[in-house]
Order: sequence, then structure tokens, then C-alpha cells
Amino acid sequence: MTGVCAAFVVALVLSLIVLVASHGLATFTVDGVSFASFVTGTVWNPHASDASGAPYMGALPMICGSFVVTVLSCAMVLPIAIGCAIFVVEIAPRFGERVFRPITEMLAGIPSVVFGLIGLTVLVPVVRGFAGGTGFGILSGSLVLACMVFPTVVALINDAIAAVPRSYREGSYGLGCTRWQTVLHVVLPSAMPGIMTAIVLGMARAFGEALAVQMVIGNAAQMPTSLFTPAATLTSVLTTSMGNEAMGTVYNDALWSLALILLVMSLVFILIVRLIGRAGKVRGNA
Amino acid sequence: MMAEMTVERPVDAATTAAGDGRRTTDEALRCEGLSVAYGEKQALAPCDMTFAPSTVTALIGPSGCGKSTFLRCLNLMNREIANCHVGGHIWFHGQDALAPGCDVYDLRRCIGMVFQQPNPFPLSIYDNVAYGPRRHRRLSRAQLDEIVERSLRRVGLFDEVKDELKKSGLALSGGQQQRLCIARTLAVDPEVLLMDEPTSALDPISTKMVEGLMRDLARDHTVIVVTHNMQQAERVSNRTAFFYLGELVEVGPTKELFSHPRERRTQDYLSGRFS
Repeated sequence: MTGVCAAFVVALVLSLIVLVASHGLATFTVDGVSFASFVTGTVWNPHASDASGAPYMGALPMICGSFVVTVLSCAMVLPIAIGCAIFVVEIAPRFGERVFRPITEMLAGIPSVVFGLIGLTVLVPVVRGFAGGTGFGILSGSLVLACMVFPTVVALINDAIAAVPRSYREGSYGLGCTRWQTVLHVVLPSAMPGIMTAIVLGMARAFGEALAVQMVIGNAAQMPTSLFTPAATLTSVLTTSMGNEAMGTVYNDALWSLALILLVMSLVFILIVRLIGRAGKVRGNA
Repeated sequence: MMAEMTVERPVDAATTAAGDGRRTTDEALRCEGLSVAYGEKQALAPCDMTFAPSTVTALIGPSGCGKSTFLRCLNLMNREIANCHVGGHIWFHGQDALAPGCDVYDLRRCIGMVFQQPNPFPLSIYDNVAYGPRRHRRLSRAQLDEIVERSLRRVGLFDEVKDELKKSGLALSGGQQQRLCIARTLAVDPEVLLMDEPTSALDPISTKMVEGLMRDLARDHTVIVVTHNMQQAERVSNRTAFFYLGELVEVGPTKELFSHPRERRTQDYLSGRFS
């Protein structure tokens, strides 16, 4: 019985991948769009065709948009998350247990649409205020994403730092090193595989997040040239367009292809996490 | 390194007022009324003990008798434990290590510590030994190389690892790891070495090497070692102190203490009536 349950889940995941892949590949196999032009083209308008009759299907603006917001949001989160984790593990563990952890868990539980709303009503006007333009764009999207991935990243970095054996710290203290030297030169290097894992999982979350980003990024499928002009991500194009395009049309196939890229990317993130875990283990046992 | 801690400071009113702060030549470290409490619970009753330079002192006693607690006071490792209160005085170079304002980091550099479980950092062998010197001073590569080689030679590890100094310290055997940890401590040039059951996690051959090392180190260091193993105390130490139920029962020259213990409790422990 339990075996059937497990087999069911495995079959579900596999069929999901197959489904996305079969639809996503239709763009290239049925509609005759070349893969190269799909990932390098910069014009996204599948309703229209160019002189040669091929639809404008350049996904590069969205791919770039996704990567830029992902990297930016994680770059914003990382220093703050490491700082927080050091504080609550090394300096104020009681505060960490009683206040900080519950608060970040609460943050993790807030639905993404709420983040999007707050971004829309608070963040976008602020960005508009100091940068001009509409306020929609990469920066607003990255800031909202940063808030969303923060709890994941900080919790994982917390665990990584707390898992550094006490004996390492004692060894460093025993040599007359200060707490700061100990954290910088023993604790952080020892926790590095865990910190890397935290970043990658945070990136995976940021890469896949749709709703909140869609609400603040402006949804213009153009190459991102500035932090303050509207842009689009793979996910935002999917959520805005999917409901409007009939199954089986060229546009619909193109959206499936975007979904396939998303899926492949998330698999890549998982793979990276696995590799880090293995590398960490090898180093520990070597 | 100890220059700033006023090695030859004449006796002044401040030190004599707080207690007898004089430092004689046969005294490397002296405790006066040293006591420890964890919260409300007293872990060590006030005790006095003097450690002569270039000797090995063994601290023996049953588990939970306060010997490790005592050892961990001597370089203020207890400061890292919340709720731990240390009372009394620890005189080191005419200064009270427990007085407010004493630089605990300076003190730990001069009074090094080796732990029960070998605890090399997850760094290379070289970086493990270079860790302390790098934190405390700005050194050239050549100076560091020299310190690393000298420290590893001192513990007899250099010839075993000289071709793989880049290898992780965790890749060594348990005995090698413990000698690496001793080398790491020696690299910051301490005067006193505290060892907390340094061989209890090691095999007999490694134990023998570390014991030999203790005697060798005692030529120019003051070694204080906690041990569960009474034969070890007999083999390596000049003086032995017996702790029981958070109290220093008796301390004396090792031969004397083992052959003619003054206290009944010492006698009972040595004869195996309890452990």
C-alpha cells in the first residue's frame, strides 16, 4: 500500500515533467521556431510575424528579467541574512529563539499576493519618487522578491551557522581569538556549504515566484536596460498571458516553452544544491 | 609577547592590597581562593594552588569532581559559558587574571588550551597551525612558514605531513589531529599549556606519543593536565592534585601523593574504592 503511494507521487512528478516538456517542445517541433532564435531573440510578440512569416518569439527579455531580479534580490538578502544569523546564533540566542525565529516564520507565511499589494502601494510610489518613471520595474520586483526569499535564506543560514560544532569555537577562543575573529575565520568558513545552499534555494524561490513580481515589475517584454523601466520575467509573462491564449495556438505553445525553461532552471538549482552537499561531505570526510 | 603584561613589575600597593601579588621564580601561575558556580550551584569550592614553571601538574579525580571546571578557569574559558561565576584570584605575572580590565584574549594567548576531543578547524594542516599567529600579528609568508614548521616539528608531526600541508586537518588520524591541535596552540607561543584529558579519545600508541610530548613540553612550558587515568598521572606529572566533589582535597609531589596520601579520600580513590 505504502509502495503504491510512493509510486503514485513519483509517477505524478514524472508525468508533470513530461507534460510540460511535450507542450514546451511543440514550439520547436510543430510550429517550426528555432530554439536558437527563441532564446536569443529580443522581440516578444507571438501574435505577429516577421517578413519571413515566423512569429516574433524572442524569450531573451524574460530570461534576462528573471535572472536579473533573482540575482539582485539574493544579493540584497545575503548580507542582511548573514548578519542576522550571526547575531541570533552567536550573540543573542535567546532573542533569536523567542523573537526572531517566530517573526521570520511569520514573514514566510505571508501570501505572495500580499507582498505584491504592499509592493504596489508602498514600494512602487517610493521608487517612482526617487527614480522617476512609473516606479514599476526591476528594482521594485527585486525588492519585493528580497522580502519574500529572506525568511527562507535566513532560516537556512541560521541552521548552517548553528550546526558548526562548539569545539571549533572553543578551539579559536582557546587561542586568544575574539568572538568576531572566531566568527569570521572559523564559523563562516565552516558554514560555507550551508550558506551556499541557502543562497541557491533562495534563488530558486525567487526565480519561480510569479504573482508578487508580476504586480510590480510592469510587464513589458523588453530587454531590461535600467533598474527603473518596466520589464518582465518568465513567470510574469506566464501569469499575465496564459488565461488569454487558447490551447494549441502558437502563442500558447510559446508560453509552455517558457514554462519548460522555468522547470529546467529549477531542476538546475536543485542539482547545484546536491552538488554543494556532496562537495561539503567530501571535504568533511577527506 | 608578554612585555605589555609587565613581567618584572615590582610589588605595588594595588597588587598587595588585593592579595599577595608577588611573583617568585618558582611560580608560573597561582590560584588563590578560586571558586566556580554555575548559577546557584557551586561547582568548585575555593581552593589555592601554585604551579611551578617547567613542571607537569596532573589533576585527577572522579567524573564531575570539578577538575575540568578548575582547568577551564585558568584561561577563563568559563567566560564563554552563560551563568558561570568565577571567584578568587588567578595570579599570572603579578596580575590578577580575574580582575576587571584584564585582557582575556592576551591571557588565553599566554595560557593555551588543548581539548579532550581533537578539534582541528576544517582548514588545511598549514592553516590550522597558522590560524593563531595570523589573528594576532601581521606576518610575512616566510615567518609563517617558519612558525608552522617549528610548531609541527615540536609535536613530531612535521615529517609525517610535510608533503601534504595543504590537506584538510580533518583528514588526519585521531592521534595526529590531537598533535596538530597541540601544534596549533604552540604556534602562538604560550607559557602555560592546559590539557583537558588530551588522550582520552586516542588509541594507546597515540596516547604514548602525546604523553612523551607532555614531558618534553614541560622543559620550557608549565603543563597542567586533567586526566582520568591514574597511571598517566604517575607517568607524566611532577605534581598531582586530587579533586573530589567540587573540592581540592590534596596536592603534592606525584610520588608522594601516590605512595603516602595524606587524606583518607585520596587513599580511597587511589586504591579504587570508588571512582
